[in-house]
Amino acid sequence: MTNDDMDAVFHALAHATRRRILDLVNAKPGQGVGELASAFDVSRIAVMNHLAVLEQAGLIHSEKDGRTRRLYFNAAPIQMIQDRWMSAYSARWAGRATALKYAAEAAAKRQEDEE
Amino acid sequence: MSGDANAEGRAVYKVLIDAPIETVWNTLVKTDEALPFFFGAVCDTADGLKPGAKMRMVTPNRKFASVVGEVLEFSPPHRYVHTLKFTQWDDAPCTVTYELNETPDGVAFLLITENVPAGTKTEKSMASGGDFITSNLKRLVETGGPAFSGRMVMALGPLMALFTPKACRIENWPL
Repeated sequence: MTNDDMDAVFHALAHATRRRILDLVNAKPGQGVGELASAFDVSRIAVMNHLAVLEQAGLIHSEKDGRTRRLYFNAAPIQMIQDRWMSAYSARWAGRATALKYAAEAAAKRQEDEE
Repeated sequence: MSGDANAEGRAVYKVLIDAPIETVWNTLVKTDEALPFFFGAVCDTADGLKPGAKMRMVTPNRKFASVVGEVLEFSPPHRYVHTLKFTQWDDAPCTVTYELNETPDGVAFLLITENVPAGTKTEKSMASGGDFITSNLKRLVETGGPAFSGRMVMALGPLMALFTPKACRIENWPL
């Protein structure tokens, strides 16, 4: 992965709307552009511009299916970022640390809700 | 919309690989040799990969089969499709497609998984496996060595055998 490729991925991820697009496509692979756009208040054109940035970075893969353009999340560029800095060993322990963080924060939130 | 159900059980992993298409293909379909991008397993067949042939991914010592499947399509150097079932779980087989296309920027390698049974261990495995395979195959073909995660599974292979369930013993999964 070249530095330019990596720039494209970080640029694509550096926008809340584009991260939300990845969430939605990841949750429902194969959805069309129209369905995706309906989840946003911004115009369809704006969503399509964000999609172009994501596709350029390789984070979205799209396939034509009749008149629909089906969207899929491609995790491979993020995996390559992980490959650069993390080993299987550090990934395991970092995973333990983040799992504890999520569990403790969820427990704290439940306590807050009860109070 | 029709076809939606199909699209939902489908996941796509894509990398651009800086190597000749034949090199990528030959690395992908290698049999009888431990594959770092496939968790250090060996692709085992009775008589080579071809449509209708059964295949299984086995440990290098040939004691365990982790994955079994059947070749659905084999079109060098562009397309290889097979079914995939993990021997340790009782889930239905899913379909794996590998597509290679030459582009000006390198070989576009596409790994597509379909009909993955939702909410199963197979689904979880396929999600992490797809990333692992695409990134390790790219690294292997471009540099001659796997990524660290690939080297790690190669090194841990013999150890993992200790934890492998009996259901995975190779005699349970004939070709």
